[in-house]
Amino acid sequence: MSPDPGQPSAAAPSSTKGLVRPATPYAIAGLVALYGLGAAGLSLAGRSGLLVALVLLAGLAVLLAAVVAVAVRDARSMAATVERDSKDLRDSEAWLRAALDHTDVGMGIVDTRGAWLHVNSRLEAMLGRSAADLLATSLPAVTAESQSGVVSDSLAKSAASTDGGWTTETLQVRADGSAFPVSISVTPLGERPASARTFLVQEMDISAAKRAETVRDVMVAVRHAIATSATWEQAAPAVLSSVGSKLGWDVAQLWSEEDDGKMLRLRHSWQADEPRLSEFDRAAHSLALPTTGGLMGRALRSGVAAVNEEVSATSESLIGDAARRAGLTVEVACPVTFGGSVTGLLVLFGRGRRDVDGDVMTMLTVAGSEIGQFIHRSETTVALQRSEADHRAIFERAPIGIARVSAEGELLEGNAALLKMLAHDLETLRTQAWPELLRAYDLAAGRANLAPLLAGISDGGTVQLRAATGDGRWLWLQMSAASIPDLQGKPEHVLLMIEDVTAVRETQDKLGESLSAQQRANADLEKLDRTKTEFLSIVSHEFRTALTGIQGFSELIRDGGLEQDELRAYGGYIFNDADRVNRLIGDMLDLDRMESGRMSIRMADVDINEVLSDTVARAATGSSMVEFKPDLDPRLPIVTGDRDRLIQVVSNLVNNAVKYSPEGGTVTISSRAEGGYALVTVADTGLGIPPDEIAHVFERFRRVRSGAAQSIAGTGLGLTIVKQIVEMHGGKIWVESAVGHGSAFHFTIPLAPEAVTPAMQLRHA
Amino acid sequence: MPDGKSVTVLVADDNEVAQRLCRRVLEKAGHRVLTASDGQEAVNIALADAPDMILMDVAMPLMDGLEAMKQIKDKRPSMVVVIASAHSMAGDRERFLAAGANDVLSKPFRLNDLTDMVAKLVGGGLPAQRAPDK
Repeated sequence: MSPDPGQPSAAAPSSTKGLVRPATPYAIAGLVALYGLGAAGLSLAGRSGLLVALVLLAGLAVLLAAVVAVAVRDARSMAATVERDSKDLRDSEAWLRAALDHTDVGMGIVDTRGAWLHVNSRLEAMLGRSAADLLATSLPAVTAESQSGVVSDSLAKSAASTDGGWTTETLQVRADGSAFPVSISVTPLGERPASARTFLVQEMDISAAKRAETVRDVMVAVRHAIATSATWEQAAPAVLSSVGSKLGWDVAQLWSEEDDGKMLRLRHSWQADEPRLSEFDRAAHSLALPTTGGLMGRALRSGVAAVNEEVSATSESLIGDAARRAGLTVEVACPVTFGGSVTGLLVLFGRGRRDVDGDVMTMLTVAGSEIGQFIHRSETTVALQRSEADHRAIFERAPIGIARVSAEGELLEGNAALLKMLAHDLETLRTQAWPELLRAYDLAAGRANLAPLLAGISDGGTVQLRAATGDGRWLWLQMSAASIPDLQGKPEHVLLMIEDVTAVRETQDKLGESLSAQQRANADLEKLDRTKTEFLSIVSHEFRTALTGIQGFSELIRDGGLEQDELRAYGGYIFNDADRVNRLIGDMLDLDRMESGRMSIRMADVDINEVLSDTVARAATGSSMVEFKPDLDPRLPIVTGDRDRLIQVVSNLVNNAVKYSPEGGTVTISSRAEGGYALVTVADTGLGIPPDEIAHVFERFRRVRSGAAQSIAGTGLGLTIVKQIVEMHGGKIWVESAVGHGSAFHFTIPLAPEAVTPAMQLRHA
Repeated sequence: MPDGKSVTVLVADDNEVAQRLCRRVLEKAGHRVLTASDGQEAVNIALADAPDMILMDVAMPLMDGLEAMKQIKDKRPSMVVVIASAHSMAGDRERFLAAGANDVLSKPFRLNDLTDMVAKLVGGGLPAQRAPDK
């Protein structure tokens, strides 16, 4: 698009430095017209202080125009004046030109199609093109492709209407192809036919404001992604795509430290949709970058974000090569931090020239810190969830029963093993069986000196208790409790481990039973052994006592030199002791046979009264010191028994009575029938038996040793044998005694069957 | 009194035959013999008559020989007491010595054992002269 030479403004010089030529009337008229247009445009635009300055300049130009008109009219007559005024005009023009060229607003004039007719130096600088280049192109042509159509349409509409000025934001493209955002204002100039209209274009670079806005947007997006995700894994794609796409980068990655900070590995990435970038992503995922070199290493070590604007294979080991292959030339690495230490890197790759300004770096640093905190939070959360899941699995699948109990003793949870063990569903266990189980626990714990369940558990002691199941069985349960404290350390709830130890317990019980049976048997054996030893000790003592006299007096006789009466006396002692030894042996053999059941009794009809009379008669001839008083019932029936043994019983009792009776004492022998038995009593008026010895008189070697009884010889087995014989006959024997008054021995022997009358039987019963 | 000096021996035994045997043997050896038939009597005589030696049976009525020995030794620690007992199971001798007996004479005994015991402990009678030969 070239300027139309027919237009007055086409007379404008092609100079790159100024809008006006040297002062000529023709040119002045053109200049005045231009100033007029400028003033009108500026009054409509009026948007900034600089525009206000332009309005003032335009006013000044109108004034100058008037002054110049007067000067033309009076030209000939006022030549000197003209000469002076020309200089003033030149000064003003230079001043104006400087003002326009140094404004921060890019200005130009375009025709209806947008072709540049005039441009100021600021616009040249903004668009990175010379005025000549610009005058050879148009406003739509320097607008980003996506928006140039809109600009063309807007210009066409403005041309068609009378008042069509407009303002918008759009993207302009520099000569190097880079785009930047501008605020653009387009204002129609002067009253002209639609086809000849021109427009004043003013542009302001708003990229700084746009960048700040973008940074804000990215930060909002990152925080939103973090706030709406449970884990970093979920948040990562949204975070990286926000950072990458909103900031206009091609690749956004998150690298994390591994191997104790020796290596970096790519954990998450985003890249624009392009095959070369996908290739780069695959390459990056396969890398383990050493933390010692490259931009990433630098950022990692320093903890400060860093930029490399010329990525190469040499500047970035390993990844630089891959980046170059993907056409990526710029890299930013920003530390991801938590608690002051770097745990990873947020890395961006891009192409071409990049504006990585302070705002972006600050934003990336803040984002790095927030991402770092979130990763830590999310890892903690994941770890907690995993731990919770592990414990849940243990609880649910454990082969032993586990119950969780509140501080008040209420069952909160029971695992499957517990419910199966007790054959209850959770509800019936909770409401019915549980309170009972708790009471049983406390009772058992009390016996084991453990704290009750709800008093707070500190030790790992276990208790065993008996519990009924839902299906009516009884189990032995072993329970151990552990209290779980709350944050204040007070027991919040209690975990109970419950094992069914019924089988173990029953085995133990059986073992215990057989063990205690064994112990009892051992104790019996020990007692038997003690008894045997004791018996041997007593028997040997008895024999040695008897042998003392026999041996001693024999030795005296053997040594000779004794008187005749001495010999006789010593012979008597020897005879008596030898006789005693003989009786001792006989008694012991008798007793042994009786106790082992080898003694037979030859049963026959026996007249007890006759046995008693014969015995008394024999005893009376041997002792003249006591008086015998028989008191026999003549109607006493016949008894069934062994006559010789019965004689042994009676003579033993009578001899005892005689032995323990003092001189002149009385021995009473009586008989009567009583309830199918013959009752015989042998009573003396002798020493009597002390109460503490009565219970033992029938035991072996239990001779009464008190008082004058000391010297009475006997085997100490007599009464034991008597008792055995009586009992072998089916009778009983007992003694009544009072010390100093005498003793009475009673025994019964069953009457012969045909002798027993019904009345008799009744009496005995 | 055949040889050596005469001592007084208290024979405490509830068995009359044993008493007579000891009296006969000791008197023949020239000693004076006192007798007691139970532990209590033995204590009474021992404390009253202060014999040179006591021949003490164990199994006696009222008070056994060990208790009697203890009571005597409590009052006369230097009194020589020989336990003469038919208790001769394993450990009996040690039990008697531990209870304070000066010596133990097991029943039945050889007559010389009795007279040697007296000679050894209280220096009386014939064996005192032949002691060095042993």
